[in-house]
Amino acid sequence: MADVYTMGIDIGSTASKCLILKNGTDISGYAVIGAGTGTSGPKRSVEQALSNAGITINEISGITATGYGRNTFSEADWIVSELSCHAIGIHAVFPDVRTLIDIGGQDAKAIRVSTTGKLENFVMNDKCAAGTGRFLDVMARVLELDVSELAERDAMAENVVNISSTCTVFAESEVISQLSNNVNICDLVAGIHRSVAVRTAGLAKRLGIVEPVAMSGGVALNSGAARALERELGIPVRIPPLPQINGAYGAAIYAWEHRKQER
Amino acid sequence: MNALNRLKNITMNPKAELKEAVASGKKVIGIMPYFCPEELVYAAGMLPFGLWGAEMQANESKQYYPAFICSILHTTLEMGLKGELDDLSAVMIPISCDSLKGMGANWEAGVKNVPVINVAFAENRKIAAGIEFTRSQFRKIQKQIEEIAGRTVSDDEIRKAITIYNENRCAILAFSKAAATHPAEVTAADRCAAIKAGYFMDRAAHTELLNEVTAELENLPASDEGYLKIVTTGIIADAPRLLDIIDKNKMVIVDDQIAHESVNARYVIPEAEDPVLAMAERLAEIEGCSVLYDPGKKRGTQLVEMAKNAGADGILFILTKFCDPEEYDYVPVKRMTDSASIPMLQIEIDQQMTDYGQPESAIMAFAESLR
Ligand code: SF4
Repeated sequence: MADVYTMGIDIGSTASKCLILKNGTDISGYAVIGAGTGTSGPKRSVEQALSNAGITINEISGITATGYGRNTFSEADWIVSELSCHAIGIHAVFPDVRTLIDIGGQDAKAIRVSTTGKLENFVMNDKCAAGTGRFLDVMARVLELDVSELAERDAMAENVVNISSTCTVFAESEVISQLSNNVNICDLVAGIHRSVAVRTAGLAKRLGIVEPVAMSGGVALNSGAARALERELGIPVRIPPLPQINGAYGAAIYAWEHRKQER
Repeated sequence: MNALNRLKNITMNPKAELKEAVASGKKVIGIMPYFCPEELVYAAGMLPFGLWGAEMQANESKQYYPAFICSILHTTLEMGLKGELDDLSAVMIPISCDSLKGMGANWEAGVKNVPVINVAFAENRKIAAGIEFTRSQFRKIQKQIEEIAGRTVSDDEIRKAITIYNENRCAILAFSKAAATHPAEVTAADRCAAIKAGYFMDRAAHTELLNEVTAELENLPASDEGYLKIVTTGIIADAPRLLDIIDKNKMVIVDDQIAHESVNARYVIPEAEDPVLAMAERLAEIEGCSVLYDPGKKRGTQLVEMAKNAGADGILFILTKFCDPEEYDYVPVKRMTDSASIPMLQIEIDQQMTDYGQPESAIMAFAESLR
């Protein structure tokens, strides 16, 4: 029987993620482009994922679009919320996970996943960028670091500095004043991570934590932030191998499941 | 559905109603939320005109209120400051919440052409002294209304106005019930517009049009198959984009505990020797609204009951941004819906909002989790 390919595209506010799945299980290709809805990001992510998979768009039998820009992707066969896609995606990687914390570019969510991988309940952050990827971008810029350097600096921290978790703008001025007091940058980075963790743990506690817990989204790539979250929750947090494309992965599985039902 | 279209047109352009009433020689009194004694205005032969803010950007109001005050107050004040409400003969402003407490003074400072009628209720509205206080305040307000109308208002006229308002309340509830099973004919936006029109037109005429729509709906087969049944709760839920999201996700509002919609309709004024006393007694009865002192926290209990009676799949808690009374209420309400195992989603709404991305994702996900 010929292979069946499905595609999931997660169009976020700051990045576009596309994933191609073969026969509902094998990841044939994926791409993450740092440009979100309203940009060339979605199109580029599709092209790159197709090229990585070595197939053409005509070979894709079903596409699910998700994420903030999901309604703008006209080629989609299904449009599904990112919360459901995240639940499906994490269930495929860790079938026993019941709580997923997703920290994306501009929002954070805590998601309760059912034992069958269905979205059961969720809480989303309010509009402030505190506790999201954007917060880390802003702070990294103030510290003249690249976000990819944050984890390494965090690991060298000795005395974690207290940084506000309420407001990005206030936190930014706190960091600036700490910098002018010559506070060690590594301690500051750890404080910034703790600030994100406090905010996100609060969100997860509002939902109610049911173990095991996993974390997805671009911020999960930062081991400093992930460790801070574990400390804040007091329990281990699992990270899938491709945390940033968890939503796109779930979307591609959704497309596969629905095509299968039609056959 | 001619009657429904007429109601929708009125809601779409309330200022035209205001202009028309004034042109016909009728005086119009602005009525701010919550629970103002508008029957007294009606009894005096004037038109009560609801002021629950508008979907617009507020700029000038920021000279009077900080940014973290709800948009109902910002946008209403903005309209007043810009002279858009100059046709009003007065505006009734109650002191139902901390933010409203400053509204009268702000209005007086900034809006020169429209005088204020301050409305005070007893916080302890259920005890005898509270009822008496509210009654005496309403009588005081009656005097101010008589001055504006240039004539006295008899108790008989108040009784007649009460009857018309009571009939309107029953009409709203009957319409809401009929709309609950006819989402194909009445969208969430239509439902809201039909109820909201009553704030801008003669209540008797509103009742007539609503009853016409209800009768038409009752003659049609139900069209709610495949729809998720939702109960809404909050202060106001009239944002067209929010209502559109509810429709798009195939949800139907089967009942509401929205102050702007059915909360006011659920309680009729009893017949009594002293009609103004009856109005105060009715205020003591109302439950399910965060601005009315409720030591027994009955809002959650009422909401759970409403959801169960309507066979609802879930509840939408539509939180007006920066509304303290609603934020305080959310926690006990959520505890009660949780213990009754009724899923509830909270979304935050603001009349100055332009980006609905987050509520759209949240409502879609909520619908997916319920299906
Ligand atoms: S009760 Fe809430 S929404 Fe109403 S006026 Fe007060 S703060 Fe605004």
